[in-house]
Amino acid sequence: MDADRIDDGLLSAWLDDELDPAQRAHVEQWLREHPEDAERVRQWGADRDALRAHFDPVLNEPVPASMQRRLLTRPLSQRPWARAAAVLLLVGGGAVLGAGAMWRWQDLLPGPLAQSPRQWVHRAAVAHAVYAPEQRHPVEVGANEEHLVRWLTKRTELPVKLFDLQAQGFNLVGGRLLPDASGPSAQLMYEDGEKHRVTVYLRKPEAGTPAAFRFEHQGGLNLFYWVESGCGYALVGDLPRDKLLALAMEIHRQQTTQAGTGG
Amino acid sequence: MDAPDNFKRLLLAAIPRLRRYARSLVFDGPRADDLVQSTLERALTRWQQFDERRDLLLWLLSIAHNAHQDGLRRDARLSMLEPERMEQELDRQAGAAQPPDIGLRLDLLAALRTLTPELREPLLLVVVEQLSYAEAAQVLRIPPGTVMSRISRARLLLRRVLGDGKPPSRSHLRRVV
Repeated sequence: MDADRIDDGLLSAWLDDELDPAQRAHVEQWLREHPEDAERVRQWGADRDALRAHFDPVLNEPVPASMQRRLLTRPLSQRPWARAAAVLLLVGGGAVLGAGAMWRWQDLLPGPLAQSPRQWVHRAAVAHAVYAPEQRHPVEVGANEEHLVRWLTKRTELPVKLFDLQAQGFNLVGGRLLPDASGPSAQLMYEDGEKHRVTVYLRKPEAGTPAAFRFEHQGGLNLFYWVESGCGYALVGDLPRDKLLALAMEIHRQQTTQAGTGG
Repeated sequence: MDAPDNFKRLLLAAIPRLRRYARSLVFDGPRADDLVQSTLERALTRWQQFDERRDLLLWLLSIAHNAHQDGLRRDARLSMLEPERMEQELDRQAGAAQPPDIGLRLDLLAALRTLTPELREPLLLVVVEQLSYAEAAQVLRIPPGTVMSRISRARLLLRRVLGDGKPPSRSHLRRVV
């Protein structure tokens, strides 16, 4: 019996990302040297993806009326007048309501219990993790290239707009197309003076996706996402939540302001 | 004293996750929703016991797990079949309620149904609900090491039932003439 053999429990734990770095390196070395085990692990991964693909759509089903009734409270997002009232309470009646006040209410919904992120939100996080660390090719088309907006708008059929985040210290690096469930999505990348990067993922939302502003924390990244004028946005970054929120609010402010200013 | 509105709102937000877990456990849509309703009822009666520093979703999933166990035990008592066979029978019946599916997905779900709950639950919590081993261990009240070995066994059994036809890779290759 090969004493160094890696047992299936360890291979399985590797697939679930449960190993410490030393164990992980050991298993990865083993998999490189043992293609038949690598194939088995690959099949477990395929089974995992198939299970997720089958059950994830349940998340998007409407909550049965009986359950809603049982909890007696309709979610505030279904009662716009109640949401406005809640915001007034927060801001302190009489204050002028800006976009900031609206987000502050939504921000109260605790992260892990907010409606589960759609698969595209996860995709936005993955896309950030993949491209943000890139040194040579962080984007496909740079900000200096005039056709960036035209190209992304045409391919995604979304109203792509280059937000100006210079006041927050972020400059546009450029953008790229990414494959998505129903056609390409767009990713814009911004960078500050210290090379911290945030990305904005734009895609076509499914019919009935709520516009509600939501926060997620995934894999070490913070994420705000919302729908505005028929386009889904996810702002992703390794920034503290309040700084990312400030960026998200600025983006939304520019989205909802009538006068579109150039960058 | 009735649970406060805030708590109810948190439960409402957790429903999609609970429904997905219940559906993966019992397959049949209406039965799965019954399980979620039971879970919500129990959570509402126990809200005062919930320590806010804990993770609400994990708390709810463990309530769902217990409610599911209770249901299986209750059904087992009603019949003369021993519990393990009853579980398999229930799973088979639940599976029969599904509309026909296509290709590989049907095979995978049928294979999933052959697993006993002890193996199926940790697999689903980690793979579909994307909990860590530690979190799944909390929900199921078993050690993380047990979570790991059950998931590993579940994966092997699924593959065997799906019938790769390939022998375990460690055996020597046999020449087929």
